[in-house]
Amino acid sequence: MLTLPLALLLAAAPHDTARAPAPAAAQEGPAITVHQQPAMPVVALRLSILADDPPGYAGAGHLFQHLLLPSLEDQAARVGGHVSVVRGSDAIVYQVVGPATELDYLAGILRSTLRAPTPGGAEMLSALAALAEERSAERETAPQYVRAALRARIFPAEIPAAGTEGAAARLSGAPLDRLWSAIYRPERVQVVAVGDVELAAVRRAFRTLPGTPSAEAPEVVADTVPALEADTPQATRAWIGSAWAASESEPAAVSVTARLLRNTLRRRMTRSQVEVEHWWTHQGQALALVVATPDSLSAAARRTVDGALATLAAAVTDGGVRDAAASVRRDMLFYSRAPERMAELLGEFADRDTGPDAAQRYFAALDAVTADDVRAVLDRLRVGEPAKVFVPPQKIPAAQLR
Amino acid sequence: MSYRKPLAALAAALLLAFPGGRAAAQERVFVRPEAGTPVVAVQVLVGVGPADEPAAQAGISYLAARAVVEPTRAALDSLGAHVDVDQQRDAIAFTLTAAPDAWAEASRVLLSALFRDPVDSAATVRQRSALVRELQGREASPADALERERARAVYGADHPWARPPVGTSATVGRVRVSQVDAFLRRNFTPERTVVAVVGPVDEAEALEVIRPHMPEGELRIDSVPPTTPATEPVSADYNSITTWVSATWRFGADSDVESLRLLAKLALDRVSFGPSRRSVYNSRAEVVQYAGGGEVRLTVVVPPLEARQWADRLREAVGGYAAEPLPASVFAERLRRYRGLRLLELDLPEARAGAMARAALLGDRGATLADFTRLSAERLQAAARSLEPAIIVFLGPEANEGG
Repeated sequence: MLTLPLALLLAAAPHDTARAPAPAAAQEGPAITVHQQPAMPVVALRLSILADDPPGYAGAGHLFQHLLLPSLEDQAARVGGHVSVVRGSDAIVYQVVGPATELDYLAGILRSTLRAPTPGGAEMLSALAALAEERSAERETAPQYVRAALRARIFPAEIPAAGTEGAAARLSGAPLDRLWSAIYRPERVQVVAVGDVELAAVRRAFRTLPGTPSAEAPEVVADTVPALEADTPQATRAWIGSAWAASESEPAAVSVTARLLRNTLRRRMTRSQVEVEHWWTHQGQALALVVATPDSLSAAARRTVDGALATLAAAVTDGGVRDAAASVRRDMLFYSRAPERMAELLGEFADRDTGPDAAQRYFAALDAVTADDVRAVLDRLRVGEPAKVFVPPQKIPAAQLR
Repeated sequence: MSYRKPLAALAAALLLAFPGGRAAAQERVFVRPEAGTPVVAVQVLVGVGPADEPAAQAGISYLAARAVVEPTRAALDSLGAHVDVDQQRDAIAFTLTAAPDAWAEASRVLLSALFRDPVDSAATVRQRSALVRELQGREASPADALERERARAVYGADHPWARPPVGTSATVGRVRVSQVDAFLRRNFTPERTVVAVVGPVDEAEALEVIRPHMPEGELRIDSVPPTTPATEPVSADYNSITTWVSATWRFGADSDVESLRLLAKLALDRVSFGPSRRSVYNSRAEVVQYAGGGEVRLTVVVPPLEARQWADRLREAVGGYAAEPLPASVFAERLRRYRGLRLLELDLPEARAGAMARAALLGDRGATLADFTRLSAERLQAAARSLEPAIIVFLGPEANEGG
């Protein structure tokens, strides 16, 4: 969910990343970002389609991914490559990694995702079952449930990637070409390439994309998301979630604030599991705090979480902010040490439509975050009411105990 | 069709440790400068293992390594550096990964702990307790049980490599702090160590960081006693509903290891789960190289009643490639896939540092990562023919069933 690395790396080789804007004529290809890593003759290609699902057909984009994935994996395996798919908040994402000498072949695999699939009945059933399983998983156990419930409140316009029960029923009978025509436009496609490749070669590989589909878009239907409150997720500990909207703040400062908050709470809550996350999508930003704690400590933990921002505000120092910023940067560099991970991170910036060089700017901004910036973030967060979720641990009824 | 120039294609085929063509200044320190790689990976490979341990202290190498690293964790964490310890049969690997602005300091911390700092008694006791608990858990694992049986069959029951490289809960639990200290000072020495550095570093800068801890000199490799492999299949009873069948083919010092890696992947394709092999629960292949040779290993997990039949199929999966060379078009297709798989095995900088250090420990002065240039159908056939007969091990319920 978070952000990008790059600073040190780009400082060392400022010419590594090149970005070509989308040509005026869509037939000339998509917007392309290339990050050269000549160390290994490998390339990771990431293709994203910036689109929401059609109204009433939540999960459509992810359904297409499930329908296509087996064939994509078979094709990539012929050159020893790997394929992955992600339905993120911002885009439908396909990624493939393999030998750089196979650039054209790998690009062809990704281009094949830009047409509506024509699955058989068994394939459709299998894909719908996979979506249903993902929907259940989100509500089944406490870690996913807490995050899903917080996101539903902070970003109410965001519908789960796996869709809803109602939408699934409509998807099972909807003409796929009409659904696809509501999602795909050539100008919504972005490509990120990382590895031993050059911009000109990547541009050639994605020169021609399928045109805008001609099928009529499906009728607009309202999506209805079942309330999460009705669910009882599995939990052996108490789970406490709080999230604050942070869309008005500088992303780098929010990242550093999240790291400082995590460090502060981990020192104070040594018997609890503490995660603090910076959520950043085209819907906005949020700072989310998720704590799992033994039942006996849950009351104290809830008080600590309620006072977390005030506690941190009283303890912000210049040195602490510098260390936290360095820690965020190093974590990002570590995460992106394989080409596919670097492509994923660069792609997330591209998908948020934050402009060319967004990754570099974010990296530089991290280095410049000050204690005052963090205090400003905390002040804004404390103005609003946080979204809160609490999941108590389940207890076995005495009658069932032997 | 490739857009690349022929020179670039050649570079892709032969992955050299030194892309710029310069050799490292020392014989035990290897640097691969990589512009564009976001982190620096350092592997410190110390040629110490079971052959250096008294039988009663099996696992002392691994315990010593963990005891050395534990006191460095806080400093390494503050630098955002990651360190892993992996005990191999002939060496112990310390893998450090850090950001470009932190790797030098992190390397100094690790190398000082390895070669200079006195052993920390409290850390040794903590690690001994933790390791005993881990080993108790592992001793019940069928994968570990198979590896113990396989090692005894391949090296001989009395050979030091027949002992688990990480020891047993019983032997590790008896090791004293003073023994760890003495073992460290005697065996964890720079002359038994190679260091590989991979990432956005300048070679001279890297040597400046490493050199104070790695004085110049030849690498010292101690000889290992001769092995006495089993000549008949070995069966071991194990309480499970499946049987593990393992085949090991030994090869000599002059074997074509890249061709053997290709052979292992092709053989694995012939025995893995598929429409005509629905009874295979799991399968794996690996190629292990050590001074003087190495092994190709192929393992499947299958129903007990099919175990004997699968031993034959493992032999055929490898032996089939010795009979005649693959047709050119088939070989080209297989090679295309293999090249991708092999490159992706090396796409993390720490994997490249590990491969370089291992090659260097085995005496490859170029520390070559991978060499696709010499692969051919004929070499594949020759590699398959170079293998010794398979050593078969069964692990499962009433392991002789299906015979």
